[in-house]
Amino acid sequence: MPTTATAIHTHVACTHCGDECPDEPLLFAEQPFCCQGCQAVYELLNANNLCTYYRLDERPGQKVREVELPSRFDYLDQESVQAQLLAFRSDTLAKLTLTIPQMHCASCIWLLENLHKLNPGVSESRVNFLRKELTVSYLPSQTSLKDVVKLLAAVGYEPQITLAELGAQSHHGNRTLYYKLGLAGFCFGNVMLLAFPDYLSFIEQLQAEFGRFFGYLSLVLALPVLLVSARGFYESAWQGLKQRYINLDFPISLGLTALFLTSLFDILTQRGPGYLDSFTGLVFFMLIGKWVQQRTYEALRFDRDFTSYFPVAVTLLTTEGEKSVSVKELQVGNRILVRNQEVIPADAILMRGTGQIDYSFVSGESVPVAKLTGEVVYAGGRQVGEAVELEVVREVSQGYLTQLWNNPAFQKAEKQTLETYANKVGRYFVAVTLVLALSSILYWYPKDTHMAMRAFTSVLVIACPCALSLATPFAMGAALRVFGRRKFYLKNSAVVETLGRADTIVFDKTGTLTDTHRSEVRYVGLPLQPAEMQLIAALAQQSTHPLSQRLAKELGNGEVVKGEILGEGTEEGNLLKENSPFTTSQVHHFTELPGQGLSGVVAGREVKVGSAAFVCAKPKAQQGPEHSADTRQSRVYVAVDGENLGCFVFYNVYREHMQKVLQTLGKRYHLAMLSGDNNTEQERLRGLFGPKAELRFWQSPQDKLDYVAALRQQGRTVIMVGDGLNDAGALQQADAGIALTDTLSNFSPACDAILDASSFGQFATFLRFSQNCLQVVLATFILSFGYNGIGLGLAVQGKFTPIVSAILMPISSLSVMLFATLLVRFTAYRNKL
Amino acid sequence: MNIIFILIGISLLVAVTFLGAFLWAVRSGQYEDDYTPSVRVLFDDEE
Repeated sequence: MPTTATAIHTHVACTHCGDECPDEPLLFAEQPFCCQGCQAVYELLNANNLCTYYRLDERPGQKVREVELPSRFDYLDQESVQAQLLAFRSDTLAKLTLTIPQMHCASCIWLLENLHKLNPGVSESRVNFLRKELTVSYLPSQTSLKDVVKLLAAVGYEPQITLAELGAQSHHGNRTLYYKLGLAGFCFGNVMLLAFPDYLSFIEQLQAEFGRFFGYLSLVLALPVLLVSARGFYESAWQGLKQRYINLDFPISLGLTALFLTSLFDILTQRGPGYLDSFTGLVFFMLIGKWVQQRTYEALRFDRDFTSYFPVAVTLLTTEGEKSVSVKELQVGNRILVRNQEVIPADAILMRGTGQIDYSFVSGESVPVAKLTGEVVYAGGRQVGEAVELEVVREVSQGYLTQLWNNPAFQKAEKQTLETYANKVGRYFVAVTLVLALSSILYWYPKDTHMAMRAFTSVLVIACPCALSLATPFAMGAALRVFGRRKFYLKNSAVVETLGRADTIVFDKTGTLTDTHRSEVRYVGLPLQPAEMQLIAALAQQSTHPLSQRLAKELGNGEVVKGEILGEGTEEGNLLKENSPFTTSQVHHFTELPGQGLSGVVAGREVKVGSAAFVCAKPKAQQGPEHSADTRQSRVYVAVDGENLGCFVFYNVYREHMQKVLQTLGKRYHLAMLSGDNNTEQERLRGLFGPKAELRFWQSPQDKLDYVAALRQQGRTVIMVGDGLNDAGALQQADAGIALTDTLSNFSPACDAILDASSFGQFATFLRFSQNCLQVVLATFILSFGYNGIGLGLAVQGKFTPIVSAILMPISSLSVMLFATLLVRFTAYRNKL
Repeated sequence: MNIIFILIGISLLVAVTFLGAFLWAVRSGQYEDDYTPSVRVLFDDEE
């Protein structure tokens, strides 16, 4: 087969997901596929004439990873779950919104909106791409919620249905801002038109005739701005005052009030046209700032609810048999069944079966822990292997994990989430303004009472730090977008400030510095024949265990036995897929002992793959190179026909660019590394981190948390970089917790930012850019102070007229917006971001 | 110059109509998602 033979060396991309295919890609309709899952999706779409999906965007598919558990979605048939999930329900129509983190391109939108072609029971499906939500309407008479979700999962868009969703809250609150903005814009435009006669003072006759009418009309138009649009500023200022805290909205409210009252007084006493155009204009511009801020947040919204990690439904064992119930209904004493790959929902006692609990979420330890009947298993662990029966000893809300999260030590000390910088500056601003306003009164009062009042109000008006309030959202918004483009997602703009101010960086090791997906595989032992490799690969393919999968892939690629049998091996590989005796169905007597190994008969030969104890009853000392307690490696032993051949050693590999990143950071930051592992790699890490860095081993999640807390006590600003799973507490404790993750859909509840692992190489640049952004904000502050200075100079002299205000105010607001955005863009460009 | 009063009245009326249209647009959810429609419009030919 020459076509496939050439394909081997030219990296065939899977038609569905675009991943590199193994050497012998699955072929369907002359298209290559990397796995059964991808092919299945293609077949389904092809059968329904939906292959447009593949034309709209380059390789749009997602690798279908999950092992299909037939009963996984059974809970969706449950009445209580449906009642909570469905937004609308009648006999003829049901509607709900699902979160689908996987959607990422135009093809996704197209396919998801054409669901009705795959399931006629779906009447409509609409995507909200920015929120990654799909709103589905279906006919309950023709299909069910379970079928819809199953279909989505089948095409690679499994929705994220979680506890958090069950207590669902819709987000329609942000429409108010649009109402306010529209109203302010409308009033601003009209008031400005009415103020025109003032700007053009040569139409004095017009002004004399209509001044009064225009004045009253402007007043009528300004009222809704004051009462509706500007309300948020007053509320925020009042909230701050109640907590004995002066935020930036306080001087803004003060200035707005002064503006409005002065205008009211001027108009009612016929002194002049007032400053209502400035007033409405300011509110309008500041609302635009708020809108920019909100949009940036929305784009970055991610789920912070820890309940996301917990399963929604559990299988309850009752006297009448198995029953699927919502986790919330679980009570102490309930017997539950936890199957392979399911998360344990509550602390429980193991009643039947062998537990192999993967606590990687809690402790970071990826090797499953064996539990025997009668032992306690904790919530958050994932059962790997056979189904086990548990008796719940503590309710969900009191589980270990929940406790960990609700621990007061985990709550951040009431972190000011909004523009800490601006608020700090704002406080001094108020003080300076009040002093200036009072001194101008004192200066003018003996000479001219009217002038004194005028100067006083003008100072308050011009001191309104609207430009200041615009600087941060625009600068930070631009910064967050730059980060977002580079796959670094920040929770909010305050995180940029924290990153810029940080002086200490703490790294977690496992899963953060090491790349679990790229572990190196080496073979130690008697030389393997190509035929034997195929036997092992065929067996390993049967299992979903990560190491088995890895092994099957490695053997398929022929990488382990460095090319020596490459040609022959791949030839066999093709045979394997088509007509060799070793196709997957040819594996007989396959058994998988969870946590121990696999055995089976392939092509008449007995093959065993697994732990030393499982493969050979007495592991010989000379089997491996040396028996060290090196946790850097995991071993898989193999035996064929009862003869021990050797073992595959999986080495941990550090992330790409790590050395470069650490070197750059080491120059400017205090570095530290925390590891849950033993210290076998101390030497290597010392070399990477440099002599000054602190390296700590044998750290439990609590230790990590305590360490970060101690650093903060010393007055350091700490960035913690972890995988967001086992070090969630430390991430939460740090000033800025960054979760480094390979799959962005794996949100961590505790972190302030998510960094895609592929962008890790740019981490140092990100930090430098954050610092630059702070400088940009400061520069913008100076600019806005410049405007305020000019205005104040005029104000204390009593020369601050409506026309000056009408020119100065919008110019300052607009130029600050522009300056902030452009400068951040420029900085990003200079940092090559 | 009484015409000015009428003209201003009319102009305000027109402006209020547009404001109403905007508020209606927000209310009907047109500002909820301003990305997807831009992609969706391209699909019609692909049916």
